[in-house]
Parts: sequence; structure tokens; C-alpha cells
Amino acid sequence: MSTIAETAHRGQARRRMRIDGWRWGGRIFLVFMLLYTALPMVWMLITSIKSGFAAMQFPPQWWPDHPTLASYQKLLDPQNSVGQDFLRFFWNSLFVSTATTILSVIVAVPAAYAFSRFTFPGRNFLFFAVLLRNMFPAVIFLVPLFILMRAIGLVNTHGSLVLTYLTFGLPLAIWLLKGFYDNIPVQLEQAARIDGATRFQAFFLIVMPLSAPGIIATAIYSFIGAWNEYIYAYTFLSKNEQLTLPVGIQRFFSENTTDFPGLMAASFMMSVPVVVLFLVLQRYFVRALTEGAVKH
Amino acid sequence: MTILTGKAEALRRPQSARSGALRKIWEHRADYAYVLPAIAVMLIVIAYPIYYTVELSFFNTPPGLQLRDKIFIGFDNYIAILTSPVFWKVTSNTLIWTVGSTFISFVLGFGCALALHRDFVGRGILRAVLIIPWVISAVAASYIWKWIYHSDFGIIGAVLVGLGWADRPPNFIDSVSTVLPSLIVVNIWREFPFAMIMMMAGLQTVPDQLLRAAKVDGANAWQRFWHVTFPHLRNVSTVTILLLAVANFNSFIIPWIMTGGGPSNASHIWITHIYELAFGRQRWGVASAYSVLLFLILMSLGYFYVRALRGNEQKDGSE
Repeated sequence: MSTIAETAHRGQARRRMRIDGWRWGGRIFLVFMLLYTALPMVWMLITSIKSGFAAMQFPPQWWPDHPTLASYQKLLDPQNSVGQDFLRFFWNSLFVSTATTILSVIVAVPAAYAFSRFTFPGRNFLFFAVLLRNMFPAVIFLVPLFILMRAIGLVNTHGSLVLTYLTFGLPLAIWLLKGFYDNIPVQLEQAARIDGATRFQAFFLIVMPLSAPGIIATAIYSFIGAWNEYIYAYTFLSKNEQLTLPVGIQRFFSENTTDFPGLMAASFMMSVPVVVLFLVLQRYFVRALTEGAVKH
Repeated sequence: MTILTGKAEALRRPQSARSGALRKIWEHRADYAYVLPAIAVMLIVIAYPIYYTVELSFFNTPPGLQLRDKIFIGFDNYIAILTSPVFWKVTSNTLIWTVGSTFISFVLGFGCALALHRDFVGRGILRAVLIIPWVISAVAASYIWKWIYHSDFGIIGAVLVGLGWADRPPNFIDSVSTVLPSLIVVNIWREFPFAMIMMMAGLQTVPDQLLRAAKVDGANAWQRFWHVTFPHLRNVSTVTILLLAVANFNSFIIPWIMTGGGPSNASHIWITHIYELAFGRQRWGVASAYSVLLFLILMSLGYFYVRALRGNEQKDGSE
């Protein structure tokens, strides 16, 4: 192997890229994974522009003879009952997710800061308790929370969802943010404090702006988590007007299972907001997510 | 009290020599203000539910959550669970589901991370596409795949028939023998991107010089991977596998929406089974006992998880 030459002109050698078995293996593997990942989504899109009749053919039409946006029009039209329901579910999801996001940022920011900067009795215990929460499935908490929500009159309200979403959003939010605070040099705060700032001022005016990427990442995480949440919403809400998208779609289509184009169109529209949000901000998100596991 | 070890302790106040735990807590009272809101939320919605679940697991509860009428029955719920054949069926399903999904997701995600490590045209786009299944809702994923598996109009069945490999489209999720593997395929679809993200981040920490040095010493690609890259990724691999295992163990949406645990319990895993016991058959006591058992299993998994994380932190501190 021409190792020395490669070391010397690594940049050039990279560009020319020797074609060897491993690299070809990697490419074939990536093509396979791309097909595995993308084909189901493509099939969802193709089905969503078929008519109900065209979807029910065997063998299936790979590309519909008469593509139509009828399913989307129906879902987005506030004049008919399907559209009314869908738009209301969409609005409910948006409301619950936004409220959860704002609250979890407000609660997680100071907590994460404290875990990163202060030592106080019980700090380690609390931090790992926070982490352990993420290991427990919703089902364990479901029966008692249902009873609790019923007792305080929150069943069938969005408040019950926001409160419970905080519990699974918070632990990871705190964990993600702590990683960010750990990487901000404490000297910055010390300098501010020497200049006469209180500890809170140093935190609020110096550290907060620097941790903006972490806060954004945390917010996306909370939003996506709340937007996709299913089991609590499925259990706590029963009135049609309050359902969020995942449950709403399920209720709607379990009564009406033959409308696969409509179901695929609804699935697509449910996915759009979170996928767009994620793709735009994925840099922050991926960094924050992996920060804890891969300390640099 | 224990002596606290933390990473960023620069702001710590000068500590008065020896003092009692209470005094220490009092000295740090201002610090607690920052964590108090978080602790309050956690206590209400975590500590209380866990306590309540344990309590309910010792009672025979009437349907409809008329909890005033519950009757104390000791360990009868636990005995009923452990002697029921459904329990063992569901447990073996859960094992197959968890181990299968975790292992294959990890291998596929790691493979993608390795293949995407070198720069090439379109890498960013490819990576973004591969991540999407992880972001979209599991409910949407379940419906997409339900349609793909559909026994009359599903695309996989149509391809198999078209190629002459099957006489008629197979019943992927309606048949006892194929339902669990079919659901695992869906679960992996949604999950391998997570492993990919984690391992990509891990790969960035492998020092380039070491790889080049190994190359100079004549190590081939496989040897470089096995002796240099892989040992560097041990911690991130452990954390990733544990997180995947816990997430899989706790899966609910995909089996619940795609099959509801059927046909004849063939795709019931612990979580869906507990849910059905509680909210389907209203056997709150038995469901709570199941939850307590689940809790114990997860606590032991959690123990390893914390140990893996601590291992990271210690290594970090020594560098």
C-alpha cells in the first residue's frame, strides 16, 4: 500500500478515492438503506394522491392514472366535516405541543444550570433520578395519573396532557441542557461577578444567551415529543373536539378504514411540521442529543 | 452525607470544614431554588404514581375504578401473573421484540454511520433522508406500514406475486407466524436512525492520527476498524444499545395500532398487555402488579445505564 504518499497528500488522495471492496460495500449498503427508508414514505405520498377507487386495485397502480389532490382538499377544507375535524386536531396538537415546549424550557433551564454549576447535597441522586425517569414507560404512570387527573378534574382537558408531557420532556431537556452548560466556561460568569453582577444576573445575562443553541434543541425535542405523543392523549381525552392529531387520525380512520388515500394524506400532513422543524434545526439537535453520550 | 463529585465546581462556595447534613443543605438553600420547580413537577407526576402503582398491585380492584371498594389480597396478583400461560407468551414476545429490534437497529445504524463518515457528494441530503423515519410520528409510521403489509392491496404482497414468489399476497400481520417479525421490521425502520446519529457523533471522536498510524503499521481496513475505531466507540455503543433496549422494551404504539396484540396474542408485548389489562379489561390490580415487575426490570437496566454513563464521566475527568 502506498501509505506514505497517502499520508503526505491525504487531501488529494481522499478526492481521488481508491475504489476498494469496503467502499463499494458501504455504497451498496447505503443504497439499500435509502430504499428501506424512503420507499415507504414514497408509497405514502403516491397513495395519498390516488382516488379511493384507484387505491383498491390489485395489482396496485405504481403511479396513479389520474393523480388527484382530493384527499388533501378534503382534509384542509373547513366547510366539510372531515376537514373540520382534521383542522381541529391539528390546532389541538399545535396548542398542546407549544404549551409543553414553553413550560419545559422555563422549568428545565434553571434546573440544568444548577446541575451543571452547583454542588448541593443530593445533586447526583437527583440528576440520576431525572435520567431514570426516561426509562419508565408511560403505561406505569398511566393508571395512577388517570386517577390523579380525574381527582383534580383535568381529564378531558388539554391541561392534563401538558402536565404529563412535561414529565417525560423534562428529564431529557435537563440532560441535554446540562451538556451545554458544562461546555460554557465558568470564567465568563466569574468575570461578570467580579464586575458586580449577582449570580442570577451572571446566569441570565451571560450564560443564557450563550446556551441559545441548547435551548433551541431542547425546545425542538419537547415539541416533537409532544406532537407525536399518543398513549396519554389516547387515554385522557375522549371528546372529539379535544383530540390531538395522532389519536384523532386513529379515531377517524378506525371508523372509516377503506379511505387509505385520506389516511396517507393525513399521515403526511401530520409529519410535515416536525420533519421541517427537525431538518431546519437538526444541527443543534443532533449536537445536543449526542453531547451527553460522547464527551469531547 | 456523601461527598459530592461534580464536573463544574468552580463556582462552589468555600466550604466550612465539617458540618452536618442539615447545615449543608441549609447552606445550599439558594441552589435548590433553581431545581425546585423541576423537583415539584417530578414529585407530583412520578413519585406519587409509582407509590400508587405499588399500592394498587396488592389489591383486588373492581372495574370502573371504584377504588373505594378495593380489597387487599397480598401477593395474589403477582401469583396470578406468574402462573398464567399468557405471561410467558408475552414475555417471550417481548424478548424477541427487544433483542431483535435493538440488535438489528444498532447494526444498521452503525453501518450507516461508518458508510457516511467519509465525505462525498450528497452526504448531507442522504443523512437527512435516513433520519426522517425517526422524526415522524409512530402513529403515521404504523399506518404507512399497515398499508404496505395490507393483505389485499399491499405493495409487498403485490411485488411477491408479480415476481412469481407467491400465489397470493401473504398475510404479514394477520398471521401468527409472521406478525412479530413484520412489526420488528417497522420498529427498526423507525429506530435505526437514532443509532446512526449516536454512532456518527462517536466516530467524530476517533483520533485521525491513530488511524493513520495503524495504516502506516500495515493494518488493513478491518484491523483498523476492529483495533482502533471500535474500542474508541465502546462507551457510546453501550449507551446507545441501552437506550435502544429501554425504548424497545417500552414500545407501545406500533404493536398497538398495527395489530392490537393479535392475532391470538402473537404480537402482545408487556406494555400492550398491561394497557389492555388496565384500560381494556379494567383489571387495575393485575395491571399494577405487572407494572411493578416491569419497574423492577427497568431499574436493573437503569443500573447498568447509570454505570455506563458514570464510566464516561470518570474517563472524561481523568483526561
